[in-house]
Amino acid sequence: MRISELLNESLITLSLQHRDKTGIIEELLDLAVQSGKIGHRSEALKAILDREALMSTGLEKGIAIPHAKSSAANEICMALGICREGVEFDSADGKPSQLIFFLLAPESAAVQNIKVLGQIARLTSDTSIVDALKAAGSSQEAFDIIRKAEGEIGF
Amino acid sequence: MTGQEPIKRILLYVDGSEACITAAQYGIALSKSMNAELIALYVVNISLLQELTKARIFVKIEEMDYEQDLEQDGKRYLRYISEMAKSKGLEITTELAKGVVNKVVSEKADNYKADLLVMGELDPVLSRSDSYHDEGELIFRKVKCSVLVVKNPDLVEQVFSNLDS
Repeated sequence: MRISELLNESLITLSLQHRDKTGIIEELLDLAVQSGKIGHRSEALKAILDREALMSTGLEKGIAIPHAKSSAANEICMALGICREGVEFDSADGKPSQLIFFLLAPESAAVQNIKVLGQIARLTSDTSIVDALKAAGSSQEAFDIIRKAEGEIGF
Repeated sequence: MTGQEPIKRILLYVDGSEACITAAQYGIALSKSMNAELIALYVVNISLLQELTKARIFVKIEEMDYEQDLEQDGKRYLRYISEMAKSKGLEITTELAKGVVNKVVSEKADNYKADLLVMGELDPVLSRSDSYHDEGELIFRKVKCSVLVVKNPDLVEQVFSNLDS
């Protein structure tokens, strides 16, 4: 399962309204809820926030990957928030996060869940892709960057 | 088939996908028709979990939690395949291992002296990066014995259904 199979333009936002971690997580969760893949919003939110409480998923270089497994998810769902100026996400390097990959998976989808997390890790380890995503002018453009990176529309 | 069968031992790679169930059906059919021993192997992908922790995506407790999930998943699949084989009158060996998946499968194929590795259809490889990271692809290239990649689930289902129990 690829990132581009989980995302589409409607699951990518370049206009995050919030500037705080919980608000951003809720915004991305709402996108995922709209996709119909999440049964219980409050349960899903609790799972993500409980995971954040263990240690922030704000990484380095402007990347954050809030994630969890929860029975609230009917299937693996993803959303992506892009904020050029960055948002406070309690990141490992103390810098604002610009790419926020939200991932929620059913409890029973451990294999696929870790594979997708591995794919996000690989994707975001490529500086040129990260820079291109941060500079994307639209959801469609961001989605095309990911598809291209995953080889679906060629290099 | 009797006497000097060229395939005495078949290793079945189980990865928790639908494709591996198709591979299991075919492996059972082959095992029965060739009178070969069938060993089903599931490998918990410890290396990916550790990579995620190293990348700070996972915390240690989360890594351990997912490891347990994967282990349970593996046991469930192996039990299911074992039951499938039993329903066709075949006793198989199952093994759950942990480690770098392609490395462990390759080692086990050697250790068991497998004549054939049976695995499910490979995921499509659309980029160079895929072939570096896809465990199925790596196993296919790495094992020393012959590899049978099972396709056409509808046909295999028919073959399996028609097997005597």
